[in-house]
Amino acid sequence: MSNLDLFTTRRPELGLSKLRQLDVTLVLSWAVVAIAVAWAVAPGLFTPHSGTVGIAGNQLRAPDATHWFGTDEIGRDVLARIIYGAINSLSGAVVAVVVGFIGGTSLGLIAGSVGGRLDTIIMRIVDVLLSVPGLLFQLSLIIILGFGTVNVAIAVGTTTVAGFARLMRSEVIRVRRADYVEAAFGSGGRFGAVLWRHVLPNSLGTVIAFAALQFGSAILAISTLGFLGYGAPPPTPEWGLLIAEGRNYLTTAWWMTTFPGVIVILIVLATNRISQSLRRTP
Amino acid sequence: MSLISSSALRRTVQPTLAAVLLTSVSAMAVIAQDQPVTGGTLVYLEQQAHTNLYPPAGGFYPNSGILNQITDKLTWQNPETLQNEPWLAASWEINTDATEYTFKLRPGVTFSDGTPLDAAAVAKNFDVFGLGNKELGYPVAEAINNYDHSEVIDPQTVKFVFKAPAPGFLQATSVIGSGIVAPSVLEQPYAELGDATKIIGSGAFVVDSEVLGQSLNLKVREDYAWGPANIEHQGRAYLDAIQYIVTPEDSVRIGALLAGQADVIRQIQAYDEGQVEAQSYSVLSAPTRGVNNNAVFRPDNPLVADIKVRQALTAATNSAEIVQTIFSSHYPQATSVIASTAAGYVDLSDKLVFDLEKAKALLDEAGWVPGADGVREKDGVKLELSVYESLPQPQSRATFQLLSQQWAQVGVKLNVLAGDAGSAAVDRLDPLKTPVVSAMVGRADPDVIKSNFYPSNRDALLQKGGLNPNATFEDAKLNDLLLAIASEPDNAKRLELAGEAQVYILDQAYVIPIFEEPQVFAAAPYVHDVSFDAVARPSFYNTWLSPR
Repeated sequence: MSNLDLFTTRRPELGLSKLRQLDVTLVLSWAVVAIAVAWAVAPGLFTPHSGTVGIAGNQLRAPDATHWFGTDEIGRDVLARIIYGAINSLSGAVVAVVVGFIGGTSLGLIAGSVGGRLDTIIMRIVDVLLSVPGLLFQLSLIIILGFGTVNVAIAVGTTTVAGFARLMRSEVIRVRRADYVEAAFGSGGRFGAVLWRHVLPNSLGTVIAFAALQFGSAILAISTLGFLGYGAPPPTPEWGLLIAEGRNYLTTAWWMTTFPGVIVILIVLATNRISQSLRRTP
Repeated sequence: MSLISSSALRRTVQPTLAAVLLTSVSAMAVIAQDQPVTGGTLVYLEQQAHTNLYPPAGGFYPNSGILNQITDKLTWQNPETLQNEPWLAASWEINTDATEYTFKLRPGVTFSDGTPLDAAAVAKNFDVFGLGNKELGYPVAEAINNYDHSEVIDPQTVKFVFKAPAPGFLQATSVIGSGIVAPSVLEQPYAELGDATKIIGSGAFVVDSEVLGQSLNLKVREDYAWGPANIEHQGRAYLDAIQYIVTPEDSVRIGALLAGQADVIRQIQAYDEGQVEAQSYSVLSAPTRGVNNNAVFRPDNPLVADIKVRQALTAATNSAEIVQTIFSSHYPQATSVIASTAAGYVDLSDKLVFDLEKAKALLDEAGWVPGADGVREKDGVKLELSVYESLPQPQSRATFQLLSQQWAQVGVKLNVLAGDAGSAAVDRLDPLKTPVVSAMVGRADPDVIKSNFYPSNRDALLQKGGLNPNATFEDAKLNDLLLAIASEPDNAKRLELAGEAQVYILDQAYVIPIFEEPQVFAAAPYVHDVSFDAVARPSFYNTWLSPR
């Protein structure tokens, strides 16, 4: 895919630029994310079944016309569980990215613009954060904070602070030395004002693309923690939890794990594709 | 890799014994099908790794699966009659008020390290089991009550003396928690006994090697000659070795069995039974004959402190639906605190009627009114409870999710927590975090009720003086009843007391019985004669493998 993109960017005269603008995968990616967001906002529109209440006697049904994705061990519709689970997984990912974005960019902005000893201190802390394996760090935080969707999201977000801070700092340092910033200082701009007016907006582009990328990995991380049982408590549907619950039934009811897994993969791939396109747009 | 090598090993059936048994070639063809064959390695897939192998800790299924092969007991409880029959003890005498038990031991029994299993060794075992050892950290065995001291009368005779009548003691000598180990084992600190290679028993198998948390190898004891007196098979076990492999995923265990990489697996779930039987593999199910799989309330939690709330939740529980939806015919619906196959059982199904209207009325009476989101509230507090899934229990998570769905119909929210074993173990002792827990104990004696509820035993309700140091709840009447069961010498009266305890526990709605927990195993078609003790612990002493 990226080969094709490179090709089209280098040779717009071939008439492929239209294709570039209407990149099929990008459109599909936006569509996937849009559907997921719609699930989160109005799950009731997409399924007549309940996400938490099953019908006894209806358990472990293979996918059919009524239950497109089959039913689970206590007769709940798997598709309905996925749809009702979107709000947990997506809102969790949003909280995680916001925590990482705000925390990381402020640290990076301060470190990059002030420089000197403060820069060293902040970046060493970031180094320490980066040296701890992400999952271990998240698990430790959750044990301290307690279980639940919000806590999982905060834990996942905190882990990404270091990445955001590094990236932001390098961008700020690049922009900080640019002529127009020096000129802004030279013409009497106050430090904070210049930072806000010139440095921040011009260094955010890459960071926003990174945020989109983080959104995908946050969904994965939240699903991982949900899979391990630290996320939303059952019977609340959550994607990682759905995968975990179905895995014991893999030999008798493949649909219970397969469909939630495929959905998570699709959404993560879609956000990665969107992040890729954001990075390319100046 | 190890799986492949062991299955190759299994095919090398020792021909020598077959030749001795059979006198003519023509007879061989006929008898070879049902005559036990000596030799082979049994690959046994276990769901969880064993914990501490101090015999009284043998109630945990993975522990008992190992201890049952490497230790012997004084008496053998016949699973059919529930009578105690001779094993290491050749005979015994009990005085009329059940305060003195004298056992005559079978001569010639040795531990696997060569030391004799004599009266002194047995006395040492029960002194530790009955009194514990604070210095080395040994807890008191839950099966033994009112223990005072032991007396070695001669090398083959030992007498146990009790402070008060201990009518359950004879049965207690046959339980999985009373396996006799070499005295040297009990001189090591408690924590050391997590290492299976340190457990020296007199059983038909000996621990050969182990990788903690992963696998364990047992090998046969060639000179074993003291199986339970009343079973047909005597002498060494038929198998040469047993290989335990810890395989937590249900689907992996079942897959390995059906693919021929394992011979016996423990804990097969109800939904997998069909595919096992469809391939002419056998599903082996045995009742645990004790306290049922119950949802237990912690009355110290303010939400369930009110008896009306507990009664309402009992009425809101449809255990028939749980059994039909999640389980199979091997899992009978519970009709009392203890199983219908347990000693002293009384049918109390009229106290466990599913009645949503009654549940709602009781909650209304208790002052819990439905809030905006359907969850009942009282003084701004929501009626929201939490329970940890219990890994050793079959399909615990699905059970509680269905329970949660049922309780939601009367406006009570039940969260099912998973998390890690560490947090679960800590939170389980805090009634504020876990107002409901899952509990069951297997033992074919009325003492099992005391085991489950008495504060100094398993303390299911978290009473004062038990596992929770901050407990304030105490039910003196229940505790008196439990003590009475454990010390009533007259068997008929004892069973009557057991019945009273069941009625009282359900009247107080301390527990909601859900199903009678069996242990369900699956075995390959060439595996014969896997036997179970009275509480569904497997014994591989009689097991043999026919050539494939």
